[in-house]
Amino acid sequence: MSLVQVKGTQVELDEDGFLVDPEDWSEEMAAYFATVEEVADLTDNHWKVINYLRDYFKKFGVAPMIRKLCKDTGFSLKEIYELFPSGPAKGACKLAGLPKPTGCV
Amino acid sequence: MARTDFGPPDYREMVPPIIKENYGDWKYHTVPRPGVLRHVSNSGAVLHSVRVASPRLVSSEWIHDICDIAEKYCDGYLRFTTRNNVEFLVADETKLEPLLAELDEKDYLIGGVGLSISNVVHTQGWIHCKSAVTDASGITKSIMDEMTGYFTGKQKVPARLRIAVACCVNMCGACHCSDIAIVGIHRTVPRINDEMASRICEIPTTVASCPTGAIRPNPKLKSVEINPEKCMMCGNCTVVCPAIKIMDPVNDGVSIWVGGKVSNARTAPMFSRLAIPFIPNEPPRWSTVTAAVKNLVEVWAANARDGERMGEWIGRIGWERFFKLADLPFTDKHIDDFTHAKTTFRSTTQFKF
Repeated sequence: MSLVQVKGTQVELDEDGFLVDPEDWSEEMAAYFATVEEVADLTDNHWKVINYLRDYFKKFGVAPMIRKLCKDTGFSLKEIYELFPSGPAKGACKLAGLPKPTGCV
Repeated sequence: MARTDFGPPDYREMVPPIIKENYGDWKYHTVPRPGVLRHVSNSGAVLHSVRVASPRLVSSEWIHDICDIAEKYCDGYLRFTTRNNVEFLVADETKLEPLLAELDEKDYLIGGVGLSISNVVHTQGWIHCKSAVTDASGITKSIMDEMTGYFTGKQKVPARLRIAVACCVNMCGACHCSDIAIVGIHRTVPRINDEMASRICEIPTTVASCPTGAIRPNPKLKSVEINPEKCMMCGNCTVVCPAIKIMDPVNDGVSIWVGGKVSNARTAPMFSRLAIPFIPNEPPRWSTVTAAVKNLVEVWAANARDGERMGEWIGRIGWERFFKLADLPFTDKHIDDFTHAKTTFRSTTQFKF
């Protein structure tokens, strides 16, 4: 567990840097995560992925499968990695404020 | 950007010249003494490999030590086997005896070849895994201390006997297909931290993770609930949802399974089956587990025919004889009750009193 200061508010993160409470998510939070996940600038393409992940999670309660993410956003996995160097799970999902991926990762 | 996706180094860069020269051209091999293999090629080249036990979890100092030995006797070449033993590859026959002498002197265990009990394939345990029900390294050490004679060839066995340890029912490794398998199991229904589950768990994934359909959503709390009547404590939900806890030091322990094999020699491959439903965790020596494994090995070794694996022996004498000879109680826990259990029931009047 750790605390970070983002735009004057304190936010709690777990040991892997994911949000402990998804309610803490904000666009500023995404900007903060971008700095720790090697995303230089948050472009429209980044926001397209982030917003898609957030909408999908809100609707279905789970993160989308990689295939679904690629199909619906139109980005190939290669392009996703270009946008989020640490990948769709550790990178994109963290920026979108989704829960930490579980299982045998 | 860092260099990525270049794969492991080509294995051909690391094989000794004698293997490179005789690749795919070996004539036969013999076992001149326990733990030593002698391979002879069509061109007459002779390669000795000396197999040595390893605890799998090793320090870099230990690696340096085996590298020094390989440097001294094998021109720097060695390999690890699929059961995590080390093999020193000796191309120069005159160096074989001095190598064996140094290994003996340094207390390395030479063995694990052919008719023997080779290394235990095992997992992380309490060393590193969050879902470990039991320890792996500790049990492995305790068992192999008892099995040393079988490893080094001092005690004879009728066939190979594979032992494996998995610290939970994920069964990483080879437990489901080993002659004797030790698998960590829970016996307590998991507890849910609803508040935490609502924040960090994917509810549909958690529901879908249950093999018996014991989990259903709890929309009021944005969490899930577990039907204890249907739960068999596999712990799968705790893998996908960290807000569900199942650990219980009193009721957690291990089960022992027998009769699995992977080779196609003589009989088809077999899954291992339940022999002992539960033994509590008894660190650091797991004496009940160790005694149970020793008993199984001894009963098999005393009764099996030459070349007969554990599962083949049980297949010949029947399970009721096995339970009698091994002096194990047969309980309701042994009767399969999962989806296609019917195929495991006896549909014949053939049985022994």
